[in-house]
Amino acid sequence: MKKENKEKNNIAISVKNVSKQFFIPHDKSTTLKGAFVNIFKKKNIESFYALKDISFEIKKGEFFGIIGRNGSGKSTLLKILAGVYTADGGEVEVNGFISPFLELGIGFNPELSGRDNIYLNATVLGLTEKEIDEKFDSIVAFSELERFIDQKIKNYSSGMSLRLAFSVAIHANREILLMDEVLAVGDSNFQKKCLREFNHYKEIGKTIILVTHDVDTVKEYCDKVMLVRNGEIEMIGSPEEVSIKYVKQNILDENDILKKEEII
Amino acid sequence: MKKHENYRELVLRLAKTDFKLRYHGSVLGYVWAILKPLLMFTILNFVFSTLFHLGGVNDPYYPLELLTGLLLFNFFAEGTMTGMTSLVNKAQLVTKIYVPRWTIVLGSTMNALFVFGMNLIVLVFFFFIYHKVPSIGGIIMFLIYAILLYVLIIAFSFLTSSLYVRFRDLSMIWEVLLTVLMYAAPIVYPLALVPEKFRQVFLLNPLAFIINYSKQGLIGNQFTNFWHFIILIFSIAIVFVISVLVFRKYEKRVAELI
Repeated sequence: MKKENKEKNNIAISVKNVSKQFFIPHDKSTTLKGAFVNIFKKKNIESFYALKDISFEIKKGEFFGIIGRNGSGKSTLLKILAGVYTADGGEVEVNGFISPFLELGIGFNPELSGRDNIYLNATVLGLTEKEIDEKFDSIVAFSELERFIDQKIKNYSSGMSLRLAFSVAIHANREILLMDEVLAVGDSNFQKKCLREFNHYKEIGKTIILVTHDVDTVKEYCDKVMLVRNGEIEMIGSPEEVSIKYVKQNILDENDILKKEEII
Repeated sequence: MKKHENYRELVLRLAKTDFKLRYHGSVLGYVWAILKPLLMFTILNFVFSTLFHLGGVNDPYYPLELLTGLLLFNFFAEGTMTGMTSLVNKAQLVTKIYVPRWTIVLGSTMNALFVFGMNLIVLVFFFFIYHKVPSIGGIIMFLIYAILLYVLIIAFSFLTSSLYVRFRDLSMIWEVLLTVLMYAAPIVYPLALVPEKFRQVFLLNPLAFIINYSKQGLIGNQFTNFWHFIILIFSIAIVFVISVLVFRKYEKRVAELI
């Protein structure tokens, strides 16, 4: 009994039989008139499963990688973990607070200055005003945006707002970091800085979930990797095994496309 | 799913940000919050007391009544409008991060509350000019009605904000209805002008009820029947519960539909 309890305490995230279905309406009505007219029509809605019956566990302190091609359901999965989407079925259990970083951002408002956005989003991530005051300089220093901090975010380049968002996300000091494609936009210096920060996080026992396409990053940093394909888990294993499978799969997919082209 | 830990600070921060966003970039800035209803008041006062001869000797406090009604109505109109559109306007906070959605709705309506608070200062100033001192009871009732009105605004915002994500023409419909509501409540005219047999039906509209008795309490020192007051509180409570239930049902898919 005690042992079981201890094992449970060790789990940061547990996902059981989670599915997510999206509806793709082919003539979407966002107006009342459209909705009234469509009552009498046969509904023309196609549904597809972004995630099909997914189950896995992530231990505390683990650096967990998720790889997969575009449209495989990685981001949907991350959004469910973050609480942005609600799963259709199954159970999601999260032990600890999450600091999400989805779709290259954490919900900045382009009309606000960098400073106001830091205060807004750090509050959303659960920091009090006093804590933000204390951490403010460190957040700005990490993003290297001292000169531009009072400028509106809409005038930032994508790299700049990415850096600021990432800096706020890691300063939120939460137990679990969800990182979706963080490394895609930043330059190599910034990537290295991010990865150093991840290592630091790991050392102090925090859990990191990283979504990426990059096999090398996975091999270098992750403890465990999950390969997702068409909304299903293809395999969970060591970075080496999963990387090999992922690369092979990509080559096979490529070959399929080439073959089809030849037939045509 | 673990919940956010500091709701109060979160709601206040959202409200503050809204307030900043709303008035940034305009030269007069926050002054507009006061100026807008005052300009409205000036126009209506001119039209109805000078051209239509409402007020005058029979009703020397007509401008005070007009301003009181107008401020309450403005509070309601602005609160419901920003509340309804809150989730769509804050789409980035809905789709990229998890914030309890009700905090977004509540934060947006607080903006109207701030503006209303600032306008109250103007109202006090006007009472001073007209040498009118309301009774303590009148002031207390006015504040209670203002709170009830705010509860009604919050309820309406919960009800419509998640639906507005699906049906964007709700805001157009509401804009028109607000104009209807303004003339359906005794703001520019006193209740006495409504034919006696319609008065009861007329006061079934909670907005008309609140505005009428706020005015009468402050200026005429007249109060409503106790049981009518209880019924008002009771119906607002029912509307509130229904709104929260609707909101909880529809907020789940909001992130996908925005």
